[in-house]
Amino acid sequence: MSRSVSRAAIVSAIVKKDLVEFSRDTLYLFLSILGLVLFITFFWIAPKTVNETLTLGVHQTGMDALFDQYQEGANASEGLRLVQFASEEELRKVIAGDLEYWQSEDGSQTFLRDKAAGDEKPKDAKRVDVTIGIGFPAGFLEKTAAKERTTVTVYSDAGVPSEIQGAMKSFVREIAYAIAGDAVPVTEPSQENIILGTDRAGDQVSLREKMRPMLALFVLMVEVLSMASLVSSEVMNRTVKAVLVTPARAGDFLMAKTIYGTMLAMSQAMIVLIAIGAFTQANWWLLLLTMLIGSVMFTGVAMIIGSAGKDFIGTLFYGVLFLVPLMIPAFAILLPGTASAWIRFLPTYGMTQVLTGITAYGLGWTDVWQSLLAATAWVIVIYLAGLFTLKRKVESL
Amino acid sequence: MTEAAIKVEDITYSYGDLLAVKGISFEVQPGEILGFLGPNGAGKSTTIKMLTGQVAPKSGVAQILGADITLDDPAIQARIGVCFEEKNLYLSMSAKENLDFYASLYGIKDPDSIEILRRVGLADRAKDRVKTYSKGMRQRMMISRAFINKPDVLFLDEPTDGLDPVTSASIRTTIKEEAARGAAVLLTTHDMFEADELSDRVAFINDGVIVAIDTPENLKLKFGKRSVKVRMRDGSGVREEIVALDRPDSGDRLKEVVGSGDVLTIHTEEATLEDIFIQMTGRGLVG
Repeated sequence: MSRSVSRAAIVSAIVKKDLVEFSRDTLYLFLSILGLVLFITFFWIAPKTVNETLTLGVHQTGMDALFDQYQEGANASEGLRLVQFASEEELRKVIAGDLEYWQSEDGSQTFLRDKAAGDEKPKDAKRVDVTIGIGFPAGFLEKTAAKERTTVTVYSDAGVPSEIQGAMKSFVREIAYAIAGDAVPVTEPSQENIILGTDRAGDQVSLREKMRPMLALFVLMVEVLSMASLVSSEVMNRTVKAVLVTPARAGDFLMAKTIYGTMLAMSQAMIVLIAIGAFTQANWWLLLLTMLIGSVMFTGVAMIIGSAGKDFIGTLFYGVLFLVPLMIPAFAILLPGTASAWIRFLPTYGMTQVLTGITAYGLGWTDVWQSLLAATAWVIVIYLAGLFTLKRKVESL
Repeated sequence: MTEAAIKVEDITYSYGDLLAVKGISFEVQPGEILGFLGPNGAGKSTTIKMLTGQVAPKSGVAQILGADITLDDPAIQARIGVCFEEKNLYLSMSAKENLDFYASLYGIKDPDSIEILRRVGLADRAKDRVKTYSKGMRQRMMISRAFINKPDVLFLDEPTDGLDPVTSASIRTTIKEEAARGAAVLLTTHDMFEADELSDRVAFINDGVIVAIDTPENLKLKFGKRSVKVRMRDGSGVREEIVALDRPDSGDRLKEVVGSGDVLTIHTEEATLEDIFIQMTGRGLVG
């Protein structure tokens, strides 16, 4: 009996079959749903604002007028809030975590709580986190004005960034110069240069916003394992052999796997991105394009993993081997300063840059096209490598 | 004379330096079952792989329904059915879903999957997932999958391997039905009884070479002994007499033996296909 069947019909039949198999794979179905729920939950419980105010503990004697003047003139919006301590020892203990510093709602009363000694929490008060402080010695003003050398101690919690610690030292030096009546030994420029750009003062990128690109990549990663498992089972059970003795060709099989993998990864990434509010009227098409590129890249990765993995453990092993390096750029955005320059050479670097630019900084096509181009180049390389690997595997069965 | 459904001329195949198939030739006519007999590693499965387009012959000519197999023509693939030795089914899908999927690859719009499953005795389990099937049921499922496109050429690789006698008999019946419909069947097996029962002709393949190809009867006549063994009661014991059938006085001798006592059994001393295979190659069909 002779019939003709189009390539599209064959590819469509294989994709439908893959979807049925995916819906029957309880483990990966569970992981996919769990992933979606967790990623969306993580996003919404992450802090949505950045606390830009630094609380500085101060112990001083004889400098009340100076600090009152600062408190009146400067306020929290300037980013620095001063809290005064009666003794340098109290300041040291609060920063060391041996005492807790509490303040009444209106700020008029302060309390020190020794938790270890069993002190109760003060009522109608909130705890203030003091992680850095300055202890001015007695007679600092007079001695400095007389140009005598004194010692000012800066106390800092180990978690305070080194930049802030350095800034505090500079702050003390500047005060000393001012009190001594000397000019700060720097030359002010004759010309003022203003660099144009988005003013994010008071609107810094929050942890929540930084998580968007990472979550998008995480979803793709979960789908890589699911797709790789499907490919691996086709190879190991030799079902692909049965498909290829019908009118279906290896190209149809590979095309079907590409469509299935891309569709699966993209649809789930879309669910997450919509749920975490990543899409805007301005960025939707660019974000869609980026996710499409990312989905194809991870489909290529899944083809390589699926060809190599012989079972669940094998798939997981190769999955981790490939996916951990690919996740590094996303983590680097979450933890700036931790990444080395070499991460620029990772395949997902360009895509992460684009996603971060679009979802966290509101950048557009003209800002991200170079990164998008780099991401596309990597996608082509990885996808072709995936196709080649799977084709060879299928033909060698 | 009708065109051969399978026509093979001097094809070879090698795995690296190992020449697995060394220039074999044969034909299978529509409606004919050709049994391919040989031990493991003789080249049976490699020959099927070449004829089903899984691998390309290194040399020689092979045609399926008049078309060169190296052309990898989907129209020809649409007219063949293959039952693999390995049970490569989609286990998470039901039998019906498996058959419907393969039917869609052949462009069959409304496949009669249930009727095909009925032929192999699986209709009542059609909606159960294949992973819940026993080994015998999976094998019957493999056979039904090979029938889904009503193929003109069937390749059956060890279709009853490891099955119980009842399931084997049921599968053999369906194979005969397909041949009766007009399908050319190439059956590989190392089960001499199956080959004897099913095959119109058998080909002995050993070490990549066809050493004999003929009807089972002709092979037995050609290579077997022409004699009968008569067992008779002899007092309290049993006596055996062998009577050669190719001598001028064979008839008289047989009458004499039969009349000489209380006959218990009479058997022809016909050789089995395995006997002939061993005689020709010096090795058995199994192993």
